[in-house]
Amino acid sequence: MGDPKEITALQATTILISTIIGVGVLPLPLFAVRAGETSAPFVTLTGVFLAAIGLMILTYLGIRHPHKTIITYSQDIIGKWLGKIFSIVVIFFFLILSSLTAREFGAVVVTAVLRETPLEVTVIVMLLLAAISCRNNINVFAYIHNLYVPMILAPVLIVVAFSLKNANLLYLRPIFLGNDLWNMAGGMLTVSALFQGSFIITMIIPAMKTPKKAMKASLWGILISGGLYLLIVIATVAIFGPEEIKQIFWPTLELARTTAIPGNILQRLDIIFLAVWVLAVFTTLFSSYYFTIHSIKELFRLKDHKVLSYFILPFVFFLAMAPQNVLHMYEIIQLIGRAGLLITIIYPAFLLLIDFLRSWRRKKNVAKPS
Amino acid sequence: MSFFRKKKRTVKKPQLLTPSKLVSQKENTPTSSSLTETEKQIKDILGNNEDLKIKHFKIFGQFSAACVYFSSLVDKDSLNKDILKSLMYEPDHLMGKEKPLTQLIDMILTETIYHSEAKVGDSIDQLIQLMLRGETVIFIDGIKEAIHIGTRKVEKRAIDQPQTEQVILGPREGFIESIATNIALLRYRLPTPDFQVKTMKIGRLTKSTVAICYLKGIANETVIKEVEKRLSEIDIDAILDVGYLEQFIEDNPFSPFPQTQSTERPDKTVANLIEGRVAILVDGSPFSLLVPVVFNQFYQTTEDYSSRFLMGSFVRLARILALVFSLIFPSLYVSLISFNPELLPTEFAVAVAGGRAGVPYPAVIEVLIIEVSMEILREATVRLPKQVGGALSIVGVLVIGQAAVEAGLSSPITVVVIALTTIGSFATPTYTAAFALRMLRFPIMILAGIFGLYGVMVGVIFIFNHMLSLKSFGVPYMAPVSPSDYEGMKDVVVRSPLWWMPKRPDFLHPSNQSRLSENENKMLEHSKLGNDQREGTTDGGSEGNNSTSSHNDLN
Repeated sequence: MGDPKEITALQATTILISTIIGVGVLPLPLFAVRAGETSAPFVTLTGVFLAAIGLMILTYLGIRHPHKTIITYSQDIIGKWLGKIFSIVVIFFFLILSSLTAREFGAVVVTAVLRETPLEVTVIVMLLLAAISCRNNINVFAYIHNLYVPMILAPVLIVVAFSLKNANLLYLRPIFLGNDLWNMAGGMLTVSALFQGSFIITMIIPAMKTPKKAMKASLWGILISGGLYLLIVIATVAIFGPEEIKQIFWPTLELARTTAIPGNILQRLDIIFLAVWVLAVFTTLFSSYYFTIHSIKELFRLKDHKVLSYFILPFVFFLAMAPQNVLHMYEIIQLIGRAGLLITIIYPAFLLLIDFLRSWRRKKNVAKPS
Repeated sequence: MSFFRKKKRTVKKPQLLTPSKLVSQKENTPTSSSLTETEKQIKDILGNNEDLKIKHFKIFGQFSAACVYFSSLVDKDSLNKDILKSLMYEPDHLMGKEKPLTQLIDMILTETIYHSEAKVGDSIDQLIQLMLRGETVIFIDGIKEAIHIGTRKVEKRAIDQPQTEQVILGPREGFIESIATNIALLRYRLPTPDFQVKTMKIGRLTKSTVAICYLKGIANETVIKEVEKRLSEIDIDAILDVGYLEQFIEDNPFSPFPQTQSTERPDKTVANLIEGRVAILVDGSPFSLLVPVVFNQFYQTTEDYSSRFLMGSFVRLARILALVFSLIFPSLYVSLISFNPELLPTEFAVAVAGGRAGVPYPAVIEVLIIEVSMEILREATVRLPKQVGGALSIVGVLVIGQAAVEAGLSSPITVVVIALTTIGSFATPTYTAAFALRMLRFPIMILAGIFGLYGVMVGVIFIFNHMLSLKSFGVPYMAPVSPSDYEGMKDVVVRSPLWWMPKRPDFLHPSNQSRLSENENKMLEHSKLGNDQREGTTDGGSEGNNSTSSHNDLN
């Protein structure tokens, strides 16, 4: 960790926002509507809430160990070998997450824009972009996110704002449709799985100038990204209605397609939206890729993460090519996403519990002799 | 370059005793007290040169002496009047006084010679070095030491308007080749003891004077040290321009982006010094090199600050637009035409398709052809003599453009796009930065030809990531945008009014941050009052006592 600790709270917030907002923007309304019909916004809200709890736990853990990432402090808390095993699981999960991000991206590009380009090419271009960018240190990582956040937020907000004139509030009622609670819970899990990128905070805290401000950063991060997700769900449901959304694969893209900016400067917005969405995907992929190699570096106590960047590229690529088609891919994504919650929420909670117990016991031990 | 290679080869030849080797052999050998012997030594080394002059004369009519100089380098007027005349003609106050040989030098320096730069030297190699820089050396028979006098006079051009950075509002002076004049231009604007100039000599053959200028107490000490360190590590035969230094001290030599700024304008240099940067000047180069730099300063000009802030901001916005144009406009065109024509409004799309009807090539090839020919035209116009240049640009741009469209080589819209792009790249005030974007346009165009908008996006992300990873002397290249800095952001897209920017930009880590003084600023008070209220106040601008403000300084 030779880099100077320079990351500010603002940068940490932007990292979280741009990491969380990613490929998930496109199918999100579909996930939410499948689970809750008209109560899709409610499902999203609970999903955000769950993700927020997970992030709080993680941030709290990070602040308790301000010089270490989850890879290193887990070894302190639950012992060297157990910690290492769990760390490998975490790393492997993020490896899969990176490859799924790249694959989902490739799928969208091949279906919506470049119909004749092979899927492999779009995926490998994106992965190469991430791999090359990962050769920078963590401060540059923060700068990159910091620069792109406004460019990611703006088009989504513009599309939402211009599309709202077609909104029909009737589609949003009833807000709470409680007929299939089990299904809604599943949707909630799927939505909060979209926030798994926020796990990156554990890597950011040790590089922050004042790690204490991490809590504020994660609160703002989840607030802004969660708010944006909620806005997208409300807008799409209010415009298309739940029944129609079930027929569409990427409702947000459809939303952009129906939107027209006044003045007829451009006939359609969806392509522009997709172009900017490339940015959002890049930042997400960049984060998970960076987290993977950074964690491998920490696990094996290597000096530099730069070499690893190209080394894991083939693995990510092959994993990305594993799903057979788009439907299969989304099945896997939902499955991996929900399973991932075990890693991103339950595991940190478990660590925090043990950490509390240990410090409580230590205090008791200290108290006893005196 | 071939010139240098030849030089190297001659140096490699074994056992050739060049004059410079002779000089270095004589290192620290004291001059002989005998005049004839010294003369012989000098003639051995420099005797071949026509412009080496040795003039014998008698000091005060009794001590025989010789003055040695290069007639091409010295100011003969001053040599005759101030040196020879004063030495040969015994002054009144020394008449009749005893003049022992041991005190002669002291007497000459303090009482006789009418020259401010007269000094004593005693080793032959040092004296020869000084002679080669234009000093006159006087050897006196029977005395070991010699007197050397700064009589250098080299032809230089007049101070002129800077050719590469012209402004409408603002000073008209530009740097010239002579470093002394350039430093004078800076000192004239910065009459403060904080303004420091450190000099060093770089280049084994050229021994160019390199000056590091900064404001002590404002510039960051670590940056100054780093600049000195990087400069002192350079060991090269020749430094002919400031660009030589640039290549040695920049952080990432493989990046297309300039990591130092070179400017011809003294006012720009001073403005940057005041922000906390360090300027490097080289003798023989009319450019100063500013470090550390950030990207946003490449589209700023001094004019932005001297004009009113609305005007400055508007012009700057136009420049940013031009910058974006020059980078991605052709690639956007290519991707829209060949991948997503549905984005265009229908009428326009039809017009574009009609224009392209006779063109056999795909859009990317067409744009590349026109773009390459544009580059050739541009390069040709720079090299051509002024008289022909205008004619060529008319023939090139108008005639060839028109003919290319009519011959079916390209569509009219392509010509429009390329013309806009080219003009856009001229709107960037810094040549080096404009060049970087000009180069990067080609890979993005090719990406656009393969992947459409997705390719453009990937290219742009790649360029941005590269820029974000750059650093110039420890300062992130994209500061103050990312990492963001509140004070610096006031001067990025819009140029905020000067009284809105009380602090120097933080990203340069200046030692002293305050730009405006803390106490109440009159200017601010005025601007807070409405126009009608101002009439009643007594401290308005029309009081008249302002006109008395220090006439003495106006010389």
